[in-house]
Amino acid sequence: MSATDCEQQETGWGILGDLPGDPMIWVLIFSELAAFGLFLGAFVVARALHPAVFAAGQATLDTHLAGINTVVLVTSGWAAARGTAAARARRRPAARGWMFVAMALGALFIAIKLFEYSGEIALGNGLETSPFFTLYFLLTGFHLLHVGLGIVILAVVSRSAGAAGVETGTAFWHMVDLLWIVMFPIIYLVHQ
Amino acid sequence: MIPDRLDIAWIALIGFALATILLSSLAARPLLGNALLLTLAALKGRRVVLDFLDLRAAPALWRGLVSAWVVIVVLFAWLASAVVALI
Repeated sequence: MSATDCEQQETGWGILGDLPGDPMIWVLIFSELAAFGLFLGAFVVARALHPAVFAAGQATLDTHLAGINTVVLVTSGWAAARGTAAARARRRPAARGWMFVAMALGALFIAIKLFEYSGEIALGNGLETSPFFTLYFLLTGFHLLHVGLGIVILAVVSRSAGAAGVETGTAFWHMVDLLWIVMFPIIYLVHQ
Repeated sequence: MIPDRLDIAWIALIGFALATILLSSLAARPLLGNALLLTLAALKGRRVVLDFLDLRAAPALWRGLVSAWVVIVVLFAWLASAVVALI
């Protein structure tokens, strides 16, 4: 039996034990990727069936604010990754500092997104305006809830700033980042 | 200070994000424009998967699975837009 096999048997998580952070967070990450993948697939199919409705809805979105939010979220992901590196090196104050930056940028993402929503609602757009806006608000709203949950998780793991906890929390945060990177062009930019 | 792997990944992500915003403001044809926008999304996703999620050193199964998710979602979005554009 190899050393790797022995380690996997000791953790009880099999090959999930080879991933950074707690294996349970990866069960959640794979579930979330599957759910958002199906949701985005539904959005794409609905757009193919109603191209004019989706083009009209997309034309009212503020792509510049969404683009700024992409820069904000990837920068937050970078700060979280730096926090993980600091936690692995047992530099706990530095890890907490980087995690604070990641959380602050996450809060900025939420503020920008809420400002964007307020503009869209002021134009008379809501959940029941059209199939586009139903899916738009559900997809981006569901993602926004994950950003909020991610900030809470980062705050919890920042308290002790241990390597295992920080790796676990930032894995969830990077998934939230990854989801936005894929959602942004599909919802805001792809033209029919 | 010499930028390390994380800094280079961040700079690349910012570059791809700015290229996406610039490209979206150009009136490109849907087929080519969408292909470029979604390719940039896949490149950004790949950077996050390898450098931020830190799957570069993880078993190929996990790295491949998460990377495949990115590719499948953007490819499906492009194919759907291409079918509508060609009909």
